Amino acid sequence: MSTENKTYLSARNITKDFGTTRVLDDVSMDIQSGDVVSIIGPSGAGKSTFLRCMNLLETPTSGTVEIGDFAITLGAGRSTASKKELATLRRNVGMVFQSFNLFPHLTVLENICLAQRRVLGRDAEQARVRAFELLDRVGLKDKSEEYPGRCSGGQQQRVAIARSLSLDPQVMLFDEPTSALDPEVGAEILAVMRELAEEGMTMMVVTHEMGFARQVGDKVHVMVGGRIVESGDPEQVMTQPSHERTRQFLAAVLGR
Amino acid sequence: MVLFIAQGLIWTVIITLSSFALGALFGVFVALARSASSRVIRALARIYVDMIRSVPPLVWLFIVFFGLAELGLKLSPLQSAIVTFSVIASAYLGEIYRGGLASLGSGQIEAAQSIGLSRFDLLARIISPQIFRTVSPSMVTYGIGLMKDSALASTIGVVEMTFRANQVTQSTGMGLTSFAIVGGIYLALSIPLGLWARRVDEKMRKKYVVN
Ligand SMILES: Nc1ncnc2c1ncn2[C@@H]1O[C@H](COP(=O)(O)OP(=O)(O)O)[C@@H](O)[C@H]1O
Ligand SMILES: [Mg+2]
Repeated sequence: MSTENKTYLSARNITKDFGTTRVLDDVSMDIQSGDVVSIIGPSGAGKSTFLRCMNLLETPTSGTVEIGDFAITLGAGRSTASKKELATLRRNVGMVFQSFNLFPHLTVLENICLAQRRVLGRDAEQARVRAFELLDRVGLKDKSEEYPGRCSGGQQQRVAIARSLSLDPQVMLFDEPTSALDPEVGAEILAVMRELAEEGMTMMVVTHEMGFARQVGDKVHVMVGGRIVESGDPEQVMTQPSHERTRQFLAAVLGR
Repeated sequence: MVLFIAQGLIWTVIITLSSFALGALFGVFVALARSASSRVIRALARIYVDMIRSVPPLVWLFIVFFGLAELGLKLSPLQSAIVTFSVIASAYLGEIYRGGLASLGSGQIEAAQSIGLSRFDLLARIISPQIFRTVSPSMVTYGIGLMKDSALASTIGVVEMTFRANQVTQSTGMGLTSFAIVGGIYLALSIPLGLWARRVDEKMRKKYVVN
């Protein structure tokens, strides 16, 4: 297991091609245990693809994903990860999507209990207790028996966060978790995320919320055209960007 | 006469239900093969489906009953009918499932993968229950069609309703009456099935409003 201040999750030389288009070009990134790293950049830059490579929802064309001491290298004749590699990675890495992706045919409670039971092997009571703990934490205890279709977007996203946390992940990936929500509702989600960060959760967050990246993030990476063009302290990057593309991007986002 | 003909109903029901059940099961594999990541598997599944759908059911029935016998595999008329209609149903139901799968969207599958669900759980607990809701009306429609097609089994000697109506006609000359009875029984089966399917569909729609 990882210790404090040790690289926990890392991507090394990740390249991803879709057909003949190179979407990620030699991207490397480390995240230390307990840190919050933000990834910002224009739409189409490859941020989602990169994040999805971190839990192998997308298989890199080449590169290495490493979690703790467990490394998975692809490329050089190896085009798919093994079942065991996928299982190990996904047991430790949670993900929250822009579009929530709750299971509409299951109640809120069932959404949160399913993987606890089927993946971690918890019994019904253990799963239920954990689910209610998390629902309480995201303020939705009274929604446990509702179907997702009857919950607002913000509520659905909070359930999605609880679903992911129910597996006690070491790292959480967030792909623009507030982009599908009204700003006030998005703020509630950001508050939940901020709390998680304060409790020491290791987080990799793709976001357009510059305030969050600046206040909560320990580090920010700017991705443009499938490459990291600039990385560093969020305050530094946002007030004195060193790369022209970063400046253009920040002007476009903050100018709004 | 009604009673004599209606006795054939048992074979209609046996052929329809068993072929539907087997076809519904094998259809899952057809749908999986049709959406497999391997191009070869996808192509083979495509050929299977197209081949089955391009040839009339009656011809398949004769191929299985007479053709396999010639090759040394002697099946009874009932067995032949069930084998034939199961295989045909697997192709059609497989395509129906595949349509449902396409309408599900990738988000559900990604969410299931991200929480580490196995492929089996993904299929059994996430995909199947959701697409069942969207495809069940088409499945019932197909099932009603299958029931009607089962009359073809009379041509190879299964003593189902059409076969019996034909016997009656041969001996009494009352073709109109005897076949009208067969038609009436099919009608009496199809209509409630269709209504039931619509009711189930509406009920499920109400349960989890998907937005
Ligand atoms: N499955 C896919 N097949 C082909 N191209 C894709 C696929 N997914 C993403 N892309 C392309 O990759 C590029 C990066 O997409 P994405 O990672 O979603 O960017 P971002 O999240 O930064 O907006 C885009 O040009 C997009 O069209
Ligand atoms: Mg994106």
